[in-house]
Amino acid sequence: MSPLHFSFYSAFTFSSLGLAFHRTHLISALLCLESMMLSMFIPLSMWSIENQTPSFTLVPILMLAFSACEAATGLAMLVASTRTYGSDHLHNLNLLQC
Amino acid sequence: MTYFVIFLGICFMLGVLAVASNPSPYYGVVGLVVASVVGCGWLVNLGVSFISLALFMVYLGGMLVVFVYSVSLAADPYPEAWGDWRVVGYGLGFIFVIYVGVVLGELVEYWKVGVLTVDSAGVFFVRLDFSGVAMFYSCGVGLLLVAGWGLLLVLFVVLELVRGLSRGAIRAV
Repeated sequence: MSPLHFSFYSAFTFSSLGLAFHRTHLISALLCLESMMLSMFIPLSMWSIENQTPSFTLVPILMLAFSACEAATGLAMLVASTRTYGSDHLHNLNLLQC
Repeated sequence: MTYFVIFLGICFMLGVLAVASNPSPYYGVVGLVVASVVGCGWLVNLGVSFISLALFMVYLGGMLVVFVYSVSLAADPYPEAWGDWRVVGYGLGFIFVIYVGVVLGELVEYWKVGVLTVDSAGVFFVRLDFSGVAMFYSCGVGLLLVAGWGLLLVLFVVLELVRGLSRGAIRAV
């Protein structure tokens, strides 16, 4: 595997593992989501470079726009959780626990 | 040039590793800032400087700033970090940054390693790659309108999520 491809592939894997094995804070999980987005932005830009298709540079910009939407929604949920429970600890989100 | 881009790729992985290891949120944001700066440098070295600037402004300047403000809601009184090798670490890091800058800028005659960008001579010439993104306004105008509509929608989504007083999504009281 080419070194650059390995680099963003492993960055995506690290972030998804960090999201899966979250610990205390909701915002740490949101930061892992953001790094997943970043590690997808870079290969999308590299696609248009490696295949010499300038029209594909639309796709990373579009992805940036929708990732901004997702980050805003995640932060709104963080604020709502903090206003309800006083902190953003993940063990507070236990309404569905039996 | 190849070695420099591979070095940036390794730094990108390390920055993302710093976020994924889930330290206290202050240090996670630092890792994300480092990873995005290095990613921008990576894209500039590959030739697409406009995409790199778009990432810088929207991601670092917009989204990460909002994240840093939100981290203040999640403050730990005793944040846990990655270790305490402060003084030596800082010193070595700064020396390395200066070395890389001198090598790239070809400021010292004996230190040439042959690092060049993709299609020009040296690090002070950057190719502008606007033509692809400019298609947002010609062929991709539908996508532009959909993305703008989505962003407007998210504004109202956020407003409804944080509204309190028994009309919010998560707030129970």
